[in-house]
Amino acid sequence: MTDQSLAMLLVLATTLFAVGLFGVLVRRGVLLQLIALEVLLAGPALAFIAAGARRGDAQGQAMFVILLVFAAAEVAIGLALYLRLRRCADVSDSDSVSQLRS
Amino acid sequence: MSSNFWLLLVPVPTLAAFMTLAFGPFWLGPSQVRAVALAGAWLTAALMLAASGVCASGTCHLLAPVFTVKVGTASVALALILDPLATVVGTTVAIVGGFVISYSLGYMARARLADLRRFFAYMNLFLGAMLTMVMAGDSINFFLGWEMMGLCSFFLIGYNMSLPRAFAAGRKAFVITRFGDVLLLAGLLLLFYEAGGVRIDALVNAALVMPPGRRSVVAVLLLGGALAKSAQLPFHTWLPVAMAGPTPVSALLHSATMVAAGAFLLARFAPLFAATPEVLAAVAMVGAFSSCFGALVAVFQTDVKRMLAYSSISQIGFMIISIGVGAPQVAIAHFVIHAIFKSLLFLSAGDMAYAAGGRTDIAALAGSSTRRPIAYFSFAAGAASLAGLPLITAGWWSKEAILASAVSAGPLGEILWSLALIAVALTATYATRAVLVGAGPSTLLARPPAVPPAGIATNAPLVLLAAASLAGGLLVGPIVRFLGAAEPDTPAFSAIVGAAAVLLGVSAAFALRRHPHLASRIARARKVRQGFRIDAVYQQRFVRPFRHLAYWLNGVRRGGRSSGIVDPLGAVPVLGIVWLVRRMIHWAAVDRVDRVWMRLAGMVPELSSFSRRSQTGRVRDYALSLIFGIAALLLLALKSPRLPWH
Repeated sequence: MTDQSLAMLLVLATTLFAVGLFGVLVRRGVLLQLIALEVLLAGPALAFIAAGARRGDAQGQAMFVILLVFAAAEVAIGLALYLRLRRCADVSDSDSVSQLRS
Repeated sequence: MSSNFWLLLVPVPTLAAFMTLAFGPFWLGPSQVRAVALAGAWLTAALMLAASGVCASGTCHLLAPVFTVKVGTASVALALILDPLATVVGTTVAIVGGFVISYSLGYMARARLADLRRFFAYMNLFLGAMLTMVMAGDSINFFLGWEMMGLCSFFLIGYNMSLPRAFAAGRKAFVITRFGDVLLLAGLLLLFYEAGGVRIDALVNAALVMPPGRRSVVAVLLLGGALAKSAQLPFHTWLPVAMAGPTPVSALLHSATMVAAGAFLLARFAPLFAATPEVLAAVAMVGAFSSCFGALVAVFQTDVKRMLAYSSISQIGFMIISIGVGAPQVAIAHFVIHAIFKSLLFLSAGDMAYAAGGRTDIAALAGSSTRRPIAYFSFAAGAASLAGLPLITAGWWSKEAILASAVSAGPLGEILWSLALIAVALTATYATRAVLVGAGPSTLLARPPAVPPAGIATNAPLVLLAAASLAGGLLVGPIVRFLGAAEPDTPAFSAIVGAAAVLLGVSAAFALRRHPHLASRIARARKVRQGFRIDAVYQQRFVRPFRHLAYWLNGVRRGGRSSGIVDPLGAVPVLGIVWLVRRMIHWAAVDRVDRVWMRLAGMVPELSSFSRRSQTGRVRDYALSLIFGIAALLLLALKSPRLPWH
């Protein structure tokens, strides 16, 4: 892999991260924010794999596996919260859940 | 420690008795109080007798230094001395004091325990102060003893605290003698300034080389102190009212201590006065007028204690005359004789008045010869000595010596001599009158309450003093010689005229007894009896204006009138201090550092309400700040040189 393809891949990873972040920040629906978060996580994961391939090192792929575990855990917690919100308060708007504010 | 250290111990027993009685933190029974008082007085008398024995055996210029302080060029050397003057006066004081305190044991028997303790404490302090003054070798000890006596006389005259009259009398004595004390202090300080030391011999020597004008000023100041203490003419008003104290107090105050202190002061500084003839002449004239005045007023008294008080003024006047004509030795001889017979007169009069139910007017003495024979006959002996019956009484010898020294003192001396003769005749009159009244039958309407017979503690001093006041004439010549002067040779005509004056006075008293209308005229002469109302004039001229001034300055509203100002003199410093407080203390009270901290603390609510706004509760906002935080951390990591990828 050349430096140029690595740069292209990093740009792609950054774009994925930026798109995901944009989604998290802009969307108010909890479910869509969780999906955007998955997209956001894909960016760093791609960057790890690209960097690992560039250096010929397996650690990049190991980091990807760890990221997958993180993402799974995060989605599990997020979906659980989403379900609780739907059942208890019947809301899907994350902005309306601001009762923790002082 | 010098070999004369024992000299310092002489006044110690009386002072120790005072300390024990006044400050001892333990309970003492009546007999213990009496024992302490008696031991204090008589131990001192024994020491003083031992000292006089040493003095009589030859070496009579002992000096026991207390301590010496050098201040710049001045040397403050405190010391007690024992010279012939101190020996004679000190011995008299100690023995008479011992007698008076012994007598008080019986006289004060019915006093409450606390009063008894107070009384004996002050009596001992009084005695100790007089001895300290007599033996003082420096002006500081002298002045301390002098002042202490004034204080004690205040306490003792005002002993009967439930009696406003007694308290006022004590205050009067204190204020008037204090007036003299100020003069004395000024004189002593001027001398100190001149001499650069406090030893009395150094002061006298310095005074002798002073310019005459300043020497006269010092002499006049010392004279003022002596006159106030001795109750001489311009300052005599405190003595008659001082009768409010108990009789033993009067006996001590009039005979050996207090009033004699003025004469002693003049005798102590006699060389200084000898160098100022004009002041000396004034001294003699004051003495002559005081002796005439005192004797004249005493004739008109109806109260025996007041009579004896005016008699003291008169007798001290005799001493002052003799000092004024340059014979202080004769004055001291008269002081000794006077101390004996005057204490005797007071003590015996006190006993007779006690037997007459506590009445002290002369009429109440009638019948005393049967009620209290010992007291009456010793009173008669004392009165004979006071009158100066020729040859057989001590008073005659000392009085003759004074008359002789006056008549041989130039042209002024003859005026003094004739004035003194008048006083002698009047003295004989009033002394005899009291004795004659006592011999008569009792005139008391109600029988006085039965009183216990006088004990040995009362009678022994009376008998011994009576014997001394008759036989003491033998002492006059030796005392004068001991003090270092030639005995004045009495001119025959002076002795004869003196004896004639005494006999004339005695016969005048008999005439008064024979012709009651004369006596009743005397009893009506209230103006003379009240001492020509000099006291009232002082009250009007000095005391009341002063009191008004004091009230005015204090802004006290009296009788609806107010000065409108509240203490202008006293208020100025207070206002100044208040102003200073406002200017300085208040300025300093503002804590700038504290103010900064307080402002910081005041900012906390604003800051917290500002920072609270960031807490929106919205997930998206938190996500945004999270991203910014991570970005910032990443940027930091890129810049940081110590991380491994660099």
